[in-house]
Amino acid sequence: MKRLHLQRWSSSVLSPQARAGSRLQRRIQHGIRYQTTTPFPVTPAEVEQSIEEQTPLTSIRSPRSKVTKHSLPSPPVKAARESAKLAALHARLYLPSRLPLETLARCLVDESADPNHNFNNESLATLGHDLLTQYTSEYLICTYPRLPMTVIFAAMFAYVGPKTLAAMSREWGVELAAAPGGEVDPGHLQFTRAAPGVDPNTTPTATNRTYEEQSTWRRSITSKIVYDDVFGDPTKASVDPREQPQATDRYAAGVTPEAAASQFVRAVVGAIYLHAGRPAAKRFFEQHFLSRHLNISDLFNFREPARDLSRLCARENFEPPVAKILSETGRLSRHPVFVVGIYSGQDKLGEGAGSSLLEARSRAAVAALKAWYLYSPLEVRLPNSMEEEGAAPWKPVYVDLGEVIV
Amino acid sequence: MRPSVRLLNLEVPSIQGARSLYVCSVCRHEARPRPIVARQFLRNASNANSLTEKVRRKIWGTDNPPGLKDPYGGEGALERKFKSKQPPTVVEEETPEASQALDTAASEAAAPAADDYEPATTWEGLDRVGHLGRWSDLPPAPTDAYKSFQYKKKITKKGLLSIAAHQAVVELCLMHQLGKPLTSVCDVEEHDQSVFKLIWKTKVVPTTDGQWNAALEYPNKEAEEALVYVFEQIGGQKVAPETEEVSQDAGEAEEATNDLTDILDTDETKQPFFGYQTIRDNGFLSLSLNDPATKFAFLKRFSQLTGHFFPDPAVHSIATVQQAVDHVQQVVKPKPKKLADYLANNQRYSNMPNIKVFAKRQKRSDRDEELGRKKLIEAELRARGLIE
Repeated sequence: MKRLHLQRWSSSVLSPQARAGSRLQRRIQHGIRYQTTTPFPVTPAEVEQSIEEQTPLTSIRSPRSKVTKHSLPSPPVKAARESAKLAALHARLYLPSRLPLETLARCLVDESADPNHNFNNESLATLGHDLLTQYTSEYLICTYPRLPMTVIFAAMFAYVGPKTLAAMSREWGVELAAAPGGEVDPGHLQFTRAAPGVDPNTTPTATNRTYEEQSTWRRSITSKIVYDDVFGDPTKASVDPREQPQATDRYAAGVTPEAAASQFVRAVVGAIYLHAGRPAAKRFFEQHFLSRHLNISDLFNFREPARDLSRLCARENFEPPVAKILSETGRLSRHPVFVVGIYSGQDKLGEGAGSSLLEARSRAAVAALKAWYLYSPLEVRLPNSMEEEGAAPWKPVYVDLGEVIV
Repeated sequence: MRPSVRLLNLEVPSIQGARSLYVCSVCRHEARPRPIVARQFLRNASNANSLTEKVRRKIWGTDNPPGLKDPYGGEGALERKFKSKQPPTVVEEETPEASQALDTAASEAAAPAADDYEPATTWEGLDRVGHLGRWSDLPPAPTDAYKSFQYKKKITKKGLLSIAAHQAVVELCLMHQLGKPLTSVCDVEEHDQSVFKLIWKTKVVPTTDGQWNAALEYPNKEAEEALVYVFEQIGGQKVAPETEEVSQDAGEAEEATNDLTDILDTDETKQPFFGYQTIRDNGFLSLSLNDPATKFAFLKRFSQLTGHFFPDPAVHSIATVQQAVDHVQQVVKPKPKKLADYLANNQRYSNMPNIKVFAKRQKRSDRDEELGRKKLIEAELRARGLIE
């Protein structure tokens, strides 16, 4: 089992940090925003017009046209069959045979390498990102229905965040091309590298938040659910697609290898979904993503566990928690050990050991809180199982209120 | 000058660069002045009025006795040095043994005596006379062309080697039978096709005592007669005086063989052994080569027919015809195939999509191109003016 990359703890979720790879969510949210608020092209004519405006030079390359390999921005389609690396990658990932090598080659071409959307992986990556986030969030919420939102954000980042995806693509043995081009072996991940000195973690200046310009405005967790992306990171303000710059201009600065590699993994998931169907995509997700070990209890970070626990007990109509010394040793010595248990009435909620009474009490409170938050039902059934034919009727999953608002 | 002194002068080989003129110290001491009586004979060997000359004239009974004027082959260094100080005198050539080069030099020396002599400034228009004493200036003579004793192309095929060994055995058996010198079979490089066919059809049945003269089994009587007739004429000088008609036939046959060899020499594109690929009879392989003369003749003929050379250790170790053939086959083992050829032609690997066999060696630049790095490197080199 592979350990997930834990790049941040639940406390750091609260701080608005820009993450690489949030570009995709931005693009997804553009569409949502336009559907709801601003006038979006509705009639087919308008849609066509906008598409033409957006991609004026995306004429589909004729396969007969005689062009040299060096003049192409990405390898030609027929090169996919000749590449040994691509075939080896296909076999190594145990991809279904219905997924052709040509599609896998397309998954390896980033949008920054080839702006033509008929040849890059952007559409596949968008689909793959949707699938990954849906499956992961379903799994997290149904398996741990009482998780606080910050922990869910952190777990999402750990399961399908860009760092994890980049690490996966490295583990799959995908090599990075130095520069994209038609002569490059299609088995290499191709993208335009960012110039040296470019900071990849720039916070987006303009977001969709209402009071973004007020620096003292509090960013609550609930507002992150509404405004930010699946990892709780701020997203860039949506732009009218017609005013959006061309892809060539957008990616002139290049992208980081991490962003390109995560796009590739998402595109592979999308390609499997398209070519081999939903069951194959789910199987791939379980085998490559859920199989990675993540210790969720490590994601918690309590500031005042004793206070949180008393509020929790009040909310749940339990008796107020009482800390009792279960045993102690060496109270007058240099290294005393106290074992404290927290009781709510006759029920022991948690137990902790510490070198002082306070420490032991807070440890016991943390144990009690974790035991509450990490409750997991015995039989977990995910909502996506209803997509299968002849599935049993859906029984609603109990999802708790979540964290205690102090 | 006295010859003894001249001999001493030969100690200066470093100046002249001639190692052959070195005289060892013993000879030098021998050449030291001797008693007067002995010296009188040695003195003035090149002088016409010397005692030696007088004795020579007396012996030969003529005023112009044969023999070189200077039996020591040239002048010494010191002598030449002295001579150059004296006024040069034209020496009349008396002896007819003078070299051609000296002749031409003398004629050229005589030419300037004419009044209308105008020295040439360039070589253009001058007659080319002589060869300046160097063989490389001579035009090629017909004898200069090298003709190989052996067959030019080495024969490697197993069947052809057997044919060659069989032919050599049959020929030597015939020579044994006829009692002729064995190595004379090599005079005929290649037989006529009909003769070769007869040889090819002849079987070799080794006798129990390993004799060569009774080992042949001809296909029919006419073939035997024809072969005997043909081989009687090889090295025909010996049999020529026996009977007149035979000698006449021999002459004819020799002519015929000469014609034959001429014809065969002109035809370069022919196949060895007239396209015969294998021999049916294997009896010749067990013949022994214990007799040194037979062994030598067989190996000579076999080497002539196949183009393979037998080194001395191999000749020593060979005891039968089989061993000779085996030796050649061991020598001509085909080179092992390269792994790349094997992989490229292997159907199994060409069907595997994750294996790519390249026709040529993959270098660092190929790897660079595969990664897309090559164009960046070239662009940078071009920007710095290192490549055009």
